[in-house]
Amino acid sequence: MEVVDIRPLLAPAMSFACAGMVFLFGRKTHWRRFWMLSAATIKMLIVLSMLPGSLQGVVYTFDLVDFTGGIGLGFRADALGMFFALVSSSLWVATTVYAIGYMREDEKRVRFFGFFALCVSTTVGIAFAENLLTFFLFYEMLTICTYPLVIHYETPEALSAGRAYLTYTLIGGAFVLVGTVMVHDATGTISLGHPGILDAGIGTGRLGFIFGLLVIGFATKAALMPLHGWLPRAMVAPTPVSALLHAVAVVKAGAFGIVRTVYNVFGVDLLDGLGFTLPLAALAAFTIITASVIAIFQDDLKRRLAYSTISQISYIVLAASMLTPFAATAAIVHFANQALAKITMFFVAGAIQRTTGKTNVHELAGIGHQMPWTMGAFTVASLSFIGMPLFAGFITKWYISLGALESGQWWFLLVMITSSLLNAAYFLPIVYLAFFKPARGAAAPMKEARPTLLVPTLVCAIWVIALGTTSEVAGMPFSLAEAAVRFVFRM
Amino acid sequence: MHLWPHWLALIVLTPLVGAALTPVVALIDRRTPTWWALSTMTVTSFAATMLVLRIFHEGPFSYVPGGWTAPYGIELHFDEFSAVVGVICLVGWLAVLFSSRYTDSLPEFARGRTPYYYTLLLLNCGGMIGFTVTGDLFNLFVFMEVLSLSGYALVAVGGERIAEMAAFKYLLMGAISSLLVLFAIGFLYGITGTLNIADVTARLHGFEGPTAPAAVALGMLVVGFATKAAVFPLHVWLPDAHAAAPSPVSAVLSGLVVKVGVIGMIRVYRIYYGSGMFDLTVLNLVLIWLGAISIVMGAFFAVFQDDVKLMLAYSTISNIGYIVMGLGLATTYGVIGASVHIFNHALIKATLFFAVGAIIYRTGYRTLTDLRGVGRAMPLTAVALSVGAISIVGIPPTAGFLCKWYIALGAFQADRPFFGFVLIFGALLIFIYYIRMVNAFYFREPVHAEVAEAKDAPVSMLLPTLVLASLCLIMGILGRVPLTFIEPGVARLLAPLGG
Repeated sequence: MEVVDIRPLLAPAMSFACAGMVFLFGRKTHWRRFWMLSAATIKMLIVLSMLPGSLQGVVYTFDLVDFTGGIGLGFRADALGMFFALVSSSLWVATTVYAIGYMREDEKRVRFFGFFALCVSTTVGIAFAENLLTFFLFYEMLTICTYPLVIHYETPEALSAGRAYLTYTLIGGAFVLVGTVMVHDATGTISLGHPGILDAGIGTGRLGFIFGLLVIGFATKAALMPLHGWLPRAMVAPTPVSALLHAVAVVKAGAFGIVRTVYNVFGVDLLDGLGFTLPLAALAAFTIITASVIAIFQDDLKRRLAYSTISQISYIVLAASMLTPFAATAAIVHFANQALAKITMFFVAGAIQRTTGKTNVHELAGIGHQMPWTMGAFTVASLSFIGMPLFAGFITKWYISLGALESGQWWFLLVMITSSLLNAAYFLPIVYLAFFKPARGAAAPMKEARPTLLVPTLVCAIWVIALGTTSEVAGMPFSLAEAAVRFVFRM
Repeated sequence: MHLWPHWLALIVLTPLVGAALTPVVALIDRRTPTWWALSTMTVTSFAATMLVLRIFHEGPFSYVPGGWTAPYGIELHFDEFSAVVGVICLVGWLAVLFSSRYTDSLPEFARGRTPYYYTLLLLNCGGMIGFTVTGDLFNLFVFMEVLSLSGYALVAVGGERIAEMAAFKYLLMGAISSLLVLFAIGFLYGITGTLNIADVTARLHGFEGPTAPAAVALGMLVVGFATKAAVFPLHVWLPDAHAAAPSPVSAVLSGLVVKVGVIGMIRVYRIYYGSGMFDLTVLNLVLIWLGAISIVMGAFFAVFQDDVKLMLAYSTISNIGYIVMGLGLATTYGVIGASVHIFNHALIKATLFFAVGAIIYRTGYRTLTDLRGVGRAMPLTAVALSVGAISIVGIPPTAGFLCKWYIALGAFQADRPFFGFVLIFGALLIFIYYIRMVNAFYFREPVHAEVAEAKDAPVSMLLPTLVLASLCLIMGILGRVPLTFIEPGVARLLAPLGG
């Protein structure tokens, strides 16, 4: 059931307005905090207010402007979009609190927090985009708004990382735009409100071209190998930004674009007959394994997390390209599962760095005794990535495996198992070092991170467990994912 | 007297007569020329509004001065493409308004001669208006000369040494192109014995004699007009000329005068498409390629400019590339997009040059490095500049978006997806410049005290800038209107005569 409602527009618009206020009145600390928290909270409340309706299958749409002949800007909160919006907007509140604590002594806070607030507004815009053009618009805005955050420290290293980031993502964006124009040329519409708008009559060659353009365009942001070069370098950014880049907004926007391409532009039925998704799945599998192997050899904690992200985002791509209902469920819920676990880890990395100044893995011996709660959260996230039952990551792996069996491609199971082992190989040593190795020199007394850093970390860790245990509870995000799958597969 | 049928004659005569009388009224008082020029442009704009309203109601129409009917008399013909007089009058009017304060900052020699400055500006507008509404080939040439000659002089008003050089280069290239056009018109007259455009088309239709002269004429016309439009590789005169001229003049030159070349091309195309003499595929291909190269090259050079006006000049080359490419694609979408971009680019580029002009007027600086932090000092001007920049990149919902989308669609419609790529990558390059500009204007610390302490532009500059900036947005949201308006014109352009 479709209902015309202004809320899908209001969610990004209100938080845009608040972000503007951060720029205007941001010089005073309390006003800045007020407007930032307003931006995060108002948006989350608007998204949450649509949740009951969404769970009952209501789709909220709002056409902002129609330029001509199917080209326009429109918003639409369907189950898939709601899921993404829910994840990003609720994590945003946690990240905002964390960032306030983390950036307390920084000089350029107005610029930082203004763009920070803009970023997640655009993410919700991406989630609620009704057509490819609106999607593209917010997608590019996201690129632009994250750039000042990446170069925040303005060191030569940061500036060069920022240039690499812009180069990759802007060129990727251009691919998306060309693909969008071609979709419009082929079908006369660019709507994302259907389970597929292209049809086989367009010709395999042209379809392949469109698929290639859109997927390459989105894969640059999703950091699919070999287009991942910008992501590890962007680690020079402040930690809340890394959390944003890796867990919430940027890479997720790319993955979301691929999911939209597969499910809403092409449609499962069409792609099933074309076979374009097999190379994509193979590439995703390659990325999962290779990035994990590289991660093992990283000593810098944030870099290790970066490669882990590259690997984890490809789960979504892999699952989406299997084209089965179970795998689709996995693809969608992994948006939340990966986001929560990874943001926990980045929060931990930032908390350790702010509290003890340590950034490398080998320095972390004995830190579990110094910061038990923080490292406890890290352990939870690690177990989730490894795929232990009761943790969020298990759900993803379970459903991807089911999907692999459903599609008859058993070798994906091998990928899953190898990846679990590799995850264990690069996360468990950290846990081991932290809790079971004595600290070098005198044991430091217990000194936890400050509350603004610790509380968001723990909240996210608790959510990792909650997502892993409550998938059958009505009203949890999982049921939204199932609704999205039903729409995509016309069930 | 009922003026309804005579507006078409008045719109041509008013600015020319006004221009001639400006030095005379200057004898009354130092400030009179400004008011005189403003009222002249007001009357002209009113005439333009009437004409555009009329074409909305009844479609294309003609005016026959003195009752001498075509093909003997000189015919004025107003079709959908002539509707560009609307934007010529608007930008011209605003440029005069903008100049009222800007002339204070002109160099010494020009400040004493402001009446002549207004004369030139009015002549320029009058020439453009005449060019777009005439139905006669020789008349076309005369008006082209009127606007070109006044254009050369206006560039030189900038006063620095570079301005003189730029004006001379412009003159040289312009004179050659005028010569080519004149020769070609002579050829066509020799073949057909008529100068009326519609009549030439009709006589060339089913023409039995040797076709070589007509082909040579076509080549000369296209090269001539391409020079005026600054299509690569005939663009060399443009960057210096447009960057060196006073800012309101740059707005007129960059927004409007180069379009004359494009409109000339459209008129030529009408003749040759209509007559069906030649298969224009090869010529179109050349135009597409030249357009593509202009897009990329213009955008590429724009990105590396530190001087804001020079960047805008290069971006004009890039945008002319879009228009020429759209024309060359010869598909409905492509030509519609190109035609509307003639109109929209005029608005956008005038916005940009006005905004930059206001900034230069207030601060005296014109490079990105010097202008750091100006966005905070001159917020309204900088906002207008940002709107213009977003439009020139073609981000929805601004004026630049739909045209580029249509041209890209045209490329796919013509089964040339490669040029769709070129188009979008050109936009991407300009986008990078825009990021640099916003970064410098808003996020960098000022290096000069003048910039940090600058106030927003005076009303006479701010008003034109903001009016145009809001039009950039309005034309984006109402983008459907010009697209549907131009459609019958494009259909007529692409169709062969009698079929």
